[in-house]
Amino acid sequence: MPSHDTDAVREKLLKLVEASEAPRDVLRAPDLKELYGAIATLPAEERGAFGKAVNEVKLAVEAAVEAREAALEDSDVSPIDITAPWDLNSSRPSLLSTTQGSQHPLTKELDNVIDIFTRMGFAAVESRQIDDDFHMFGSLNFPDDHPARDGYDTFRTEEGFIPPAHTSTMQHRILKDGKAALEAGGQIAAISYGRVFRNEDVDATHEHTFYQVEGVFVSQDATLGQMLGTLRSFFETYYGQQLRIKTQPAYFPFVEPGLEFAIEKPAAIGGKPGDWLEMLGCGMIHPNVLEQAGIDPAKYRGFAWGGGIERLVMLKYGIEDLRHFESARLQFLRKFA
Amino acid sequence: MIVSYKWLKKLTEVDLSVEDLATLIGERLVEIEGIEDISDKYQGIVIAKVVEATDIEGSDHLHLTKIDDGGVVRDVERDASGYVQVVCGAPNVREGMLVVWLPPKTVVPETYGTKEPFVLGARELKGYKSNGMLASAKELDLYEDHSGILEIRGDRELGMSFIELFEYDDYLLDIENKSLTHRPDAFGMIGFAREVAGIQGKKFSYYSWFDQLQPEPETDGSTETPKVTIDDPDLSDRFEAIVLSDIDLNAERPMGTQTFLARSGIRPINTTVDVTNYMMLLSGQPLHAYDYDKLLKVGGGKIDIHVRLAKKGEKLKLLDGKVIELSEDDIVIANGDVAVGLAGAMGGASTEIDAKTTRILLESATFNLYKMRGMQMRHGIFTEAITRFTKGVPAELGAPVLAEAARMICEQTGAKIVSKIGEDYPGKRETIQIEISLAKINDTLGTQFAAEDVTDLLGNVGLETDARGLKFTVTVPYWRNDLHIPEDIIEEVGRLAGFDTINLTLPRRDFVAVRPDDFDGLRSKVRSALVRAGANEVLTYSFIHGDIMKKSGQDPAQAYRLTNSLSPELQYYRQSLTPSLLVNVHPNIKAGYDHFALFELNKFHTKLAGETDEKVPKELDGLAFVLARSKKAQGSAYYEAKQYLDYIAETLGLEFAYEPLEEKSDYPVTQPYEYRRSARVWDARTRERIGVIGEFKRSVQKAFKLPEYSAGFEIAPRGLLKAVSQLENSYRPLSKYPGTERDICFQVKSDVSYQQIVDSVSEGLSTDLQTAIEPLDLYQPEDGETKNITIRIKLVSYEKTLKSEEVNGVIEQVSAHVCKQLDAVVI
Repeated sequence: MPSHDTDAVREKLLKLVEASEAPRDVLRAPDLKELYGAIATLPAEERGAFGKAVNEVKLAVEAAVEAREAALEDSDVSPIDITAPWDLNSSRPSLLSTTQGSQHPLTKELDNVIDIFTRMGFAAVESRQIDDDFHMFGSLNFPDDHPARDGYDTFRTEEGFIPPAHTSTMQHRILKDGKAALEAGGQIAAISYGRVFRNEDVDATHEHTFYQVEGVFVSQDATLGQMLGTLRSFFETYYGQQLRIKTQPAYFPFVEPGLEFAIEKPAAIGGKPGDWLEMLGCGMIHPNVLEQAGIDPAKYRGFAWGGGIERLVMLKYGIEDLRHFESARLQFLRKFA
Repeated sequence: MIVSYKWLKKLTEVDLSVEDLATLIGERLVEIEGIEDISDKYQGIVIAKVVEATDIEGSDHLHLTKIDDGGVVRDVERDASGYVQVVCGAPNVREGMLVVWLPPKTVVPETYGTKEPFVLGARELKGYKSNGMLASAKELDLYEDHSGILEIRGDRELGMSFIELFEYDDYLLDIENKSLTHRPDAFGMIGFAREVAGIQGKKFSYYSWFDQLQPEPETDGSTETPKVTIDDPDLSDRFEAIVLSDIDLNAERPMGTQTFLARSGIRPINTTVDVTNYMMLLSGQPLHAYDYDKLLKVGGGKIDIHVRLAKKGEKLKLLDGKVIELSEDDIVIANGDVAVGLAGAMGGASTEIDAKTTRILLESATFNLYKMRGMQMRHGIFTEAITRFTKGVPAELGAPVLAEAARMICEQTGAKIVSKIGEDYPGKRETIQIEISLAKINDTLGTQFAAEDVTDLLGNVGLETDARGLKFTVTVPYWRNDLHIPEDIIEEVGRLAGFDTINLTLPRRDFVAVRPDDFDGLRSKVRSALVRAGANEVLTYSFIHGDIMKKSGQDPAQAYRLTNSLSPELQYYRQSLTPSLLVNVHPNIKAGYDHFALFELNKFHTKLAGETDEKVPKELDGLAFVLARSKKAQGSAYYEAKQYLDYIAETLGLEFAYEPLEEKSDYPVTQPYEYRRSARVWDARTRERIGVIGEFKRSVQKAFKLPEYSAGFEIAPRGLLKAVSQLENSYRPLSKYPGTERDICFQVKSDVSYQQIVDSVSEGLSTDLQTAIEPLDLYQPEDGETKNITIRIKLVSYEKTLKSEEVNGVIEQVSAHVCKQLDAVVI
């Protein structure tokens, strides 16, 4: 009768592994084979539990083998003096050449956009990369199960958190934070910027990860005409020339009315009269959204907009493929050195 | 959705070209994704008459025909009478028949726009020349009928173009569905036409049947009124059914209905189904026809229709032949106990209409749109019908559409209505009225509309306004279930008038530039420092593969996992930034870069960080940096990375302390680092935690194919900000007196660190002079037991020029202190 003491075998084999210079050999130990062999000799009703126990022994030994192998591999690593300015018998290492350094074109453009808006009086807030349903949808007048949610193709975590699909995920927070200043006679003027995510297959013109900038303005007398004026003013500063704009009705649950906003393609990026570029979605903030943040929609009105950064960058440099941005390829990055 | 320009023009007056109309629709209604000219597909195709048809000997199916096209087609071989010879294989070809002729050089419409369009010629078949061909409905891309050639009824002029006869001189507008999510009314041609009238400033007028909200179709009453029950009013607002008898499914199909169906993207099937589809396209109300006799059989001879939720384990075979297992959230239509259809999505196979059907039960209903949406996703059914139901079809629409559909089926198939309408209508809504003032409209839009402007704009699309001075009560018609609040009316006014007519202004406020956020400022500073130092900024995905985590020594169980990731590569939120950089070292080396540094400033997430007051995961900001060199270099990579970290410190006016990294740690950030060749980094003055720097574990190097010479760091920009915010101005005016410096070399045991020497020297320099210590040389002889550390000590006095003996005194004092404390020898 072979030994059925799985605990004893486990202990024995783990000790062997700990002392071995070739720990993988322990996996071929006869003890383990015997345990497996014993399974078939047991009455049917005991086999399941015993088989499971044997398997656990094997998994434990395998884990130990891997840990031991890693330790063996690292065993001859020699420590260094971490406080020294350079290595012994060596000299101060030099930094790489300035000419090969580069800032990522997306962060460069974000800096540029943030700079224009802060000069126009908008505070800049970075957007979250993980958020909840309330901020992403609920506070923005998307009822539960509303079909408009489908358009956002959101990812979800096991806990139900959401990688935000738009920077509007910050809107409720911006409104709440600005409420006091608004009620003291001021306005809310802020942009939120950052990374957003959509469950979308990647190709040259689609990415699951991209950057957006969202703007929010609330005052006692905000109008749609002011919104269009503010947006045109931004794009005119950005492109350094006068621009024509046009709009198109659109539906976003958190604005009413809702619009798509386009500019006539600037000459600086090869535009001809009659070429239009869709730039962003915008509209007057829905009264439910203001109310959610404790702002009285009978006293205050606001407008909001949101648009992508990649498009600005692609137009500026003539970049042909969205996938370059997150590729970490030096061949691409050093073009912006 | 596809909208036919021609069909639109039948419903409302359009005095714009298709391009101008598309532009106007784009500006005031919905985005048009494209305009397709469909006349090209039927170019050159004509109506002709078969004047002679004889069997070809030696063939079991070919016929030799002579056709008369009135002589209109040019460059084709004709006989003495001017007729054209065509060989035809269709069994139904006969003398005197009007047919569609595809002359040589035309393209078979079925193959139009495909990779290999079939261009006709004059070919020999069984020794007889055939000039082009006579076409079936399938070849004409009208519907699935290839049993014979299409016969044209009525008296037609020979040689008439097919385009003219079937109104194919048309354009199709491709409408983006997503932007009409909130407008179920515009998912029907009538609703779309109403909007087209409104945006042109024209008043829309209706079909007479459309206004009959309580129709009572004439019936002989020979069949019992179908019994209909909505078990739970949450499932459906209204369900109606009517029975028709003496249906002839083989009745001739009116071409008008069919060609408009076909060009709108719906295949014609048979008269009855075509009418239901036509009415859906026209009104937005989907209909469904059941075989009445099969329905009776399922119900054991009775009609007792229920709208209910499916039961657990219930199964249903659908029209497309698939058997689906129903969820308890699915709405089904049942007769008695037996489910006969998946409500709004697809009918069941057991009551399908077939060639033997003579009696039908016609259903017109509306269902809970949220439930419809769940069913659509769950069962992957994306029919035209369910697409409309998920937008919320208004209940009032059902009755007039059902009555009109029944009338059309009777007219087209010779059927008769044999029952009254059976109905359950628990969801009847009150008419909505919205109060709004002219001032509110103008204040929100920034416009100067007069009261009449508003009344006209709204009235054109059926929104009746009752004006009392400068205040209005707007009565919302039943089909506009998207209008609830004054802002909705403001949008209608702005949109119908055109938002682009609004004057642009800027907010009335003092524009005061905002100072950039301190954290943003700090990140910018660090970023430019690294760029100046030759490093390349990268951005990599926030999600990584669980294997990348494991390879980096991190535990995926501590990471937030996506349940619906695109692929395993994007399954987990990363718990630090370094692994994403490690992944990208080898590909860049392979691409020919042999010495480079990558860095990323971004966020990362781990369950270990806990949640914020808002109960969302805390976000951590990181700066990761990895340096690699494919060829062996002098010294360890650690020191080159440290050079970068010290450069950052210097840029920010900080000074970092490097302390041993513990062998085992719970922090995901430190996992990839080899503790014997890595350090924890602190700000020396404030003791703020900065991060970790070092070389990587062998297992990590191997897993990521890193060169031996590679190192990196991952630090917390928030830690940097905390340290920087505590900085005091340390500037001290320069001394008037010259400084002096002395080099000194200590021989120590090899385990004494450079920092210990510096600390000991500082301690020994108990003097009121200003001092500075710099490294000069670090030497270790081959035996490895001792090492020589040479430093330079700089001394400056603010009071006088130092004399040589004073300096010597200080240095001797320092040397003695160090030698005693560290068992060192000055050499």
